[in-house]
Amino acid sequence: MKLSRTSFALMATLLAGTALPTSANATVTVLGWPGGSEETALRATVETYNTQASDADKVELLFFNREGFYDKLQADMAAGSSAFDVNLVATYSLGRYAPYMEPIDLGADAAKVFGESVLKTMQFDGKQYGVPTDLSLHFMYYRKDLIDALIRDDAARKTYGEIAQKYLGKPLQPKDPDSWTWDDWGATALYFTKRVNPDSPVRYGTVLQMKNLLFNMMVFQSLPRSYGGDWMDKDGNVTVDSDAYRTGLELYKKLYDAGSSPKDSLSYEYAETNAAFASGQAATALQWNAAAADLTSTEKSPAVAEVTGIIAPPAGPDGRADHIHGLGLGLNKNAKNKEGAVKFLKWLATEDAALLYARSGGSPALSPDVVGKVAKERPDLVKLGEFASKYGYVMTGATSASALPVYELQAKEFTGYWSGQQSLEDALAHTKAGMQDLLKK
Amino acid sequence: MALVTRAEGRKYLTPLVGFLLLFLGFPAIVNLIYSVSTVTFETLRSPVLSGFGNYVAVLNDREFWSSAWFSLRFGILTASAECLIGLFLAIFLAPLLSKRPVLMAPLMLPLMVAPAMVGLMYRLVLHEFAGPVPYYLFEWFGDSPAFLDIDNAFRTLVVVETLQWTPFAFLLFYMAYSAIPLDVREASSLDGASPFEIVRWIDLPLMKPTLVIAFFIRFIDGFRVFDNVYALTGSGAGGSTTSLSIYIYQAFFKEGAIGKAVAASVVLFLASFIVLHGLNRLAGRRKL
Repeated sequence: MKLSRTSFALMATLLAGTALPTSANATVTVLGWPGGSEETALRATVETYNTQASDADKVELLFFNREGFYDKLQADMAAGSSAFDVNLVATYSLGRYAPYMEPIDLGADAAKVFGESVLKTMQFDGKQYGVPTDLSLHFMYYRKDLIDALIRDDAARKTYGEIAQKYLGKPLQPKDPDSWTWDDWGATALYFTKRVNPDSPVRYGTVLQMKNLLFNMMVFQSLPRSYGGDWMDKDGNVTVDSDAYRTGLELYKKLYDAGSSPKDSLSYEYAETNAAFASGQAATALQWNAAAADLTSTEKSPAVAEVTGIIAPPAGPDGRADHIHGLGLGLNKNAKNKEGAVKFLKWLATEDAALLYARSGGSPALSPDVVGKVAKERPDLVKLGEFASKYGYVMTGATSASALPVYELQAKEFTGYWSGQQSLEDALAHTKAGMQDLLKK
Repeated sequence: MALVTRAEGRKYLTPLVGFLLLFLGFPAIVNLIYSVSTVTFETLRSPVLSGFGNYVAVLNDREFWSSAWFSLRFGILTASAECLIGLFLAIFLAPLLSKRPVLMAPLMLPLMVAPAMVGLMYRLVLHEFAGPVPYYLFEWFGDSPAFLDIDNAFRTLVVVETLQWTPFAFLLFYMAYSAIPLDVREASSLDGASPFEIVRWIDLPLMKPTLVIAFFIRFIDGFRVFDNVYALTGSGAGGSTTSLSIYIYQAFFKEGAIGKAVAASVVLFLASFIVLHGLNRLAGRRKL
């Protein structure tokens, strides 16, 4: 009997020990975007917040893999998970997650920090669902030293012209990258390909992100967009089988088949592309703006930091186009610590927090007055605002609840074409049929 | 006289049966309902019965069959390679290990790594600009193959799986090999049998049950592969490295086709049940 009483007491102590800390040390759990500059910036920002927050409001960060992130988030939120109080949300998935979130009031100052248009990237049905932490678009990164040398060297210019004629069927000449068309970029990529031009100082002309992954479709689609491509027309008909998409898909395949991009490009995404460009063995790379901090850092990318130029993606017949979307943090409807979560989100929307986030490597889209305060340390943020306003676009239908499955479908079908498993006609037909099915839902 | 009466047997089995009903029976029933329903993430708690359309969709889906073919090939190839290499190592290293058992520890290390971590590790190791393997291949031969392109991805995945799980087969085979009495080998040796003949006619027949069990455990693991493939290549260009597990995951999460995904898992369960039941009956006959 004595033994069982002792056991009972021990068990009670054990249970109390596990239960009590939860109520006594309430914190705000934030589920962030893993693995990139967003994670680094959020960690640094939260560290500062925690030095001034009370114990009950301290923030704990939670990250899981980028792979399948939105699927896991959807399953968690649909199941009513309270494992996190604040969750990541993106412009293209806001409609999908809004039913599981609560709107928040960020106060009047938020508009002064971010500007109304940026706040709108986190609005759904007229309500604010999140603090816009990062604006994402794409930069064309290129090697200034290589392009300058090419433009100055007559023999190299001649070779460039011959390669352009042979592979693209066009008599092109090297030019300033800021005035590139996609053909100019393609010819440059071919010129700097060792397999095409054995005299190339680098192994590859570009780095194509061709893994079967939805984010890679966002990188790719600015090419067809600049040729007038869109997901749907005004009447809601799917138009993915347009000449614009054909041109874009064919150019990617041509470059990949010619060896202009690393052989494993079909397994490349953000991290692999950064590593390839930072190695100094690629002349260009169309990559997310988030990579700018790393690729221009002499510590992280010593081989290319001082010779990396940044421009908007090249132009097509319809001018330049740059995919744009916002990432932000919002309030989980089932949050355990809503009060603490709202406090953190409101603080995150202040100027001090936004500047801290920017200085820590994040990419917030800030109003001109605010961005001026970090322009010296983060010149890329100035470009971010400029490119977003001049060339930013969202495909028709790309904010619907089916946007992510559409990207998934395109990733599967387009990579099937690039890898030679199916014809262009089949890839476009499958994509069109799938999109019609998804977008009518 | 029976050691345990029928009533006692029932009493002892009750917790186990309760556990199985709770943790296996409930999800199984939910799965069966979902598989014949129209259901989305928003209607998880209120599925609408819609007949066997999900099963028809799965069986008519060419991707289901191609992923089944991928899993079958992957399972057979990796199980065969792991068992052959594991068997060779077990017999080859047995004299050394009997004197230095501590060497078992490093040989077992790959088993300690989570498969998803193995996938991520090889993603780095095989990267042309960050990985040591392509680096040295460029240094020595001036070129490096594309380990993860459409032609090589399957082979690379098989090698990665084999490297991680061969120690498992090796461990089983080494134990079975060590359990064979030495006097049997000595007797055959005195009768003039060569080392090869001893392995062929003495060791392998005595190790046969272990060989069969190891092969099937490894086949099942290979057939249901998910983590390392998903971390290394995802579902592959055009879905070329989609295993059945990845197919079900994608149908569930990416397409939001919950009914179809669950129907596919039920089909997989039935196929596995038939195969395992058949094997069980075969084993039963042999005993008789």
